[in-house]
Amino acid sequence: MENVKVQDKDYLGEVITINMGPQHPSTHGVLRLVVDLDGETIVDVRPDIGFLHRGVEKLAENRTYHQFIPLTDRLDYLAPLSNNLAYCLAVEKFFDVKIPERAEYLRVIFAELARIASHLVWIATHALDIGAMTVFLYAFREREMILDMFEIATGQRMTSSWIRIGGIREDVPPEFFDRLKEFIDIFEDRCNTYERLLTKNRIWLKRTVGVGYISGEDAMNYGASGPIMRGSGIKFDLRKAEPYSIYDRFDFDIPCFEEGDIYARYKVRMQEMRESRKILEQALEQIPEGPVMTDDPRVGMPSHEDVYEKMESLIRRFYLISKGFRTPKGETYACVEAPKGEVGFYIVSDGKEKPYRLKIRAASFVNLGALPIMAKGHMIADLVGIIGSVDIVLGEIDR
Amino acid sequence: MTFNEIVQYFNEKYPGKVSGKVEFKCNFLQVDKSFFKDVLKELKEKFSFKYIVDIVATHWPDRDMKFDVVYNLYSIENNIRVFVKVMIPDEKIETVTDIWKGANFMEREQYDLVGVIFEGHPDLRRILLPDFFEGHPLRKDFPLKERKWFNKVDEQNLGIRFTK
Repeated sequence: MENVKVQDKDYLGEVITINMGPQHPSTHGVLRLVVDLDGETIVDVRPDIGFLHRGVEKLAENRTYHQFIPLTDRLDYLAPLSNNLAYCLAVEKFFDVKIPERAEYLRVIFAELARIASHLVWIATHALDIGAMTVFLYAFREREMILDMFEIATGQRMTSSWIRIGGIREDVPPEFFDRLKEFIDIFEDRCNTYERLLTKNRIWLKRTVGVGYISGEDAMNYGASGPIMRGSGIKFDLRKAEPYSIYDRFDFDIPCFEEGDIYARYKVRMQEMRESRKILEQALEQIPEGPVMTDDPRVGMPSHEDVYEKMESLIRRFYLISKGFRTPKGETYACVEAPKGEVGFYIVSDGKEKPYRLKIRAASFVNLGALPIMAKGHMIADLVGIIGSVDIVLGEIDR
Repeated sequence: MTFNEIVQYFNEKYPGKVSGKVEFKCNFLQVDKSFFKDVLKELKEKFSFKYIVDIVATHWPDRDMKFDVVYNLYSIENNIRVFVKVMIPDEKIETVTDIWKGANFMEREQYDLVGVIFEGHPDLRRILLPDFFEGHPLRKDFPLKERKWFNKVDEQNLGIRFTK
């Protein structure tokens, strides 16, 4: 909490500096934390990142808009479809394309499935860090169901690159909806199982309540978005604030808790999974039949059936694949509420087939910047829990 | 609170020096380098832009104004997003870490990759690349392939050979 003070000097009478990481089981990737300790109390934390840097932004400047889609998967590899969606929305903003209804619904379904999958990995590994093994096994069992659905629809389990500029790659097979229905039916009950294991668990409460405090003002000041902001009492969700895609058609709540500690962030994420399930339920009811790719000739990829029958479609497809399309000059930004917070793509175009500059606003990167203020004054043993509660994916941080 | 009101307010305060435009559904507020910090401070205090989203720097080698720095701000109370764009002739610009603490990481990243120097930043080090990396990779004159990762001293220290 705020009133936790750095204790008086221990008998050594000095601050010692130790390294946590570069490889630590509680981080998805390589993260080194330089921790200044006074006894067991954390005086300061300095994250050292960049071990996974792949230069994605530089690569984007040398690829056409279509060719960049697979690279967006590799950012947050636990929720690749959210990144696909953010990137495609940003490019679509240049053209003001009308996306077919069915594609919009499928985008929402997959973005929400990606959110649940990401949160499941989070609850699994975070509980494992703190010492609860059973949740780990349960959560991965449900995540497996979602990955199976991804596999049916996209052919890939992790890096699906399925959302395209102007729609989605291909319609899902009918079998997909049976699986989705099955998942929706059981998931509420499974959420109850996790909560039964953790919410009133005394060890869990002792390790999380009052630990890793950040106030709402600080969260905004540090730019920390997503569950960190909502766990600190600020009711901000881009799905409601700046509705993208068709989120304004669904009825769901934004979970928000005042405490600002690890426990509040845990409750926010648990609640979010239930809200996502609600959105899935509504989307499954409302989804219409129809095409899944826009017929706008500027960006829409002609379907394979058209390519086999019409010469113009063949030429168009060949041109889009080999040359790409040109965007108007200017700058634009589009963002989505990804599982970890606000993920946005800022694209500067100079009217060519390739982006002039592409800046990824990665949620985990900025959230990690707020780690020192959460960790200061706590014990070194709590640091693992605090890192876990930020829900970082180093692929997204290092890009 | 709409974007037009913000533009109008700053136009009255700095006549003819602040321009606003809406481009592809994004609100851009272009301000001059000489008073951009006052504008940002006022945006935070008067218009409650408390949430800093991002800082983007772009290199334009063929222009007189060599760099663009764009501050991506959000006001949760008024539910409006504004991009404050500053053009600078050389790579030096004042830091905004005293207004938003989150700018610390963002400015370090832009310094590392684009090479904009944020004056007054408390801890301006490289963040994503190793300290001995030469050059700034997101500048337009930095090639994609013919790169030089380590200098001679590092090669000797680390016992590796990466340079040509």
